[in-house]
Amino acid sequence: MATALQDPPAVRGGGRAQPVNAGTSPLERQHRRIFWPFVGPALLVYGVLFLVPIGYAAWTSLYKWDGMGAKHWRGLRNYRILFEDAAFRTSLVNTLEILFVGGAITFAISLALTLVLREMRARLFARSVLFFPCLVNAMVFGIAAGFLFSPDGPVNTVLHWLGAATPPKWLATDNLFPMIVATLVWTATGYYTAIIMAAVDQIPEYLYEAAELDGASAFRRFRHITLPLAWDVISVCAVLWTVSSVKIFELILMYGGSNSSQPPVDTWNTAMYVYAEAFPQTSAPQLGMATAAALVSLVMVGVITLALRRLMRRAAVEY
Amino acid sequence: MRIARGVVWVVVAVDLLLILWVFLTSLRGSTDIFAHPFGLPTDPHPDNYGRALDDGGFGRAALNSVLVAALSSVAAVALAAPAAYMLARRRTRTSSVLTMTFAMGLGVPGQVLVVPLFIGLAQVNLTDSLLGLGLVYVGLAMPFTVYLLTGFFSGVPAVLEEAATLDGAGPLRTFLQVIVPVARGGLITAFLLQVIGAWNETLFALVLNHGEDKITLPVALANFVATEQLNGMDWGTMFAGVCLILAPMLALFSWLGTRIIQGMTVGIGK
Repeated sequence: MATALQDPPAVRGGGRAQPVNAGTSPLERQHRRIFWPFVGPALLVYGVLFLVPIGYAAWTSLYKWDGMGAKHWRGLRNYRILFEDAAFRTSLVNTLEILFVGGAITFAISLALTLVLREMRARLFARSVLFFPCLVNAMVFGIAAGFLFSPDGPVNTVLHWLGAATPPKWLATDNLFPMIVATLVWTATGYYTAIIMAAVDQIPEYLYEAAELDGASAFRRFRHITLPLAWDVISVCAVLWTVSSVKIFELILMYGGSNSSQPPVDTWNTAMYVYAEAFPQTSAPQLGMATAAALVSLVMVGVITLALRRLMRRAAVEY
Repeated sequence: MRIARGVVWVVVAVDLLLILWVFLTSLRGSTDIFAHPFGLPTDPHPDNYGRALDDGGFGRAALNSVLVAALSSVAAVALAAPAAYMLARRRTRTSSVLTMTFAMGLGVPGQVLVVPLFIGLAQVNLTDSLLGLGLVYVGLAMPFTVYLLTGFFSGVPAVLEEAATLDGAGPLRTFLQVIVPVARGGLITAFLLQVIGAWNETLFALVLNHGEDKITLPVALANFVATEQLNGMDWGTMFAGVCLILAPMLALFSWLGTRIIQGMTVGIGK
């Protein structure tokens, strides 16, 4: 779950200035000798269980295959069929909606929380409580929502006490997807708030004190100190969100506690589509289509990540 | 500002109450739950847990979850640590290419790997096997664990190894006796984060393992919900199952919360 996309740490400073003729010291020689024995095993596991499967997925995506019989070459036609499939188009739109709409809301709330939490007492405690949901399997929230929002469930009971005669049909198919996004936003904000706050804690206090003396309001302090100085971290968070939002799966599978059959297509994202095509409960598996859909999401992550990094790049502020 | 603070506290309270409510509900009977959703367990049903562990299959699944999460995380850290150490120390072209190769894996969504890994494991008879699932988790762990540990190791001063080398220690010994103890904090954090990830992992667990004695907790919960929907939900037992997934995370977080948050935000926060 926790991932970080940044320039690899090995390249960052750290360590001491190397002499020009590095490589001749005993330590250097020793490092050179043990490099492959140390890196090799991890690389082997990573290659076999990660890199080769990606290649295999790309290759499978060019065939029509049910996993048992013979493979039939389809080439890039698979991708055309994919985009003509209404279920896939819905999934793709939903994925993008989670990514951009869900992302915008998540970051708006996270930044608002940062603004409030920075100036709050017991903020470490509040931060921890808000963070916790991201350690819980998302299907727990899906199932809990199925109970809480059921027609006679607790939420409607409370609304009844408050005098609402006709509470919304929370779990009707039309409302399901917005509910999923809302749940997602609620569980994700704590995580991103924690990351942004970790950066905000590094900002020297005297900047805020000076601003306060100059009469800057809390919001202006946020706008002119917090935001610019935490910008790099916020941009990394945006990349992180892109990667993790595309993987969402359990929440959709179990939302409303529905696993007896697959959830309604209106709520699918591309991860759900891959699962449904590759491991269907009634029809034959369509591995070619499934892997093609998976690769579309991979390419999407790559393109959006590059775009985000370009858009959000900015000269670093020194402090 | 005061209103905003109030809102934050309300959200915090809702989060806490939700956890409390899930726990209390796991101790209540099904009809009782629906009649008074917010009631206290006046007539507690601790037998919900017994039913969950036996009939729901959560007992065996919990054991499997513990096994897979613990062993795969140990293996992942044991593999990643030496690699990350070397990648942090050697500044050659090969080393930076490899560092990049590992880091790229961070951007790959799991659904890309699920079909190939399923087919591959089926060919070597490792589907429906805890070993197979564990191997998959080790593979999935590589990018993040290597990335995280590279960061930790580059913070360990090189003077330490120089001293050890001058004292005549070989590379393996230097690594195990000098570097690992110094970077212990990072290794524990990497292990913890991997355990949390494996504990909650659902997609691969669902696809790879079906046999009743081979499933992990998330799959047991999904199966339970599926069968219960046919013959009326036993909510009390289901919430007991939910608590079994939830409780270890809660315990871990109340014990090592700062370390977990730091680990999950390191490399991002400065």
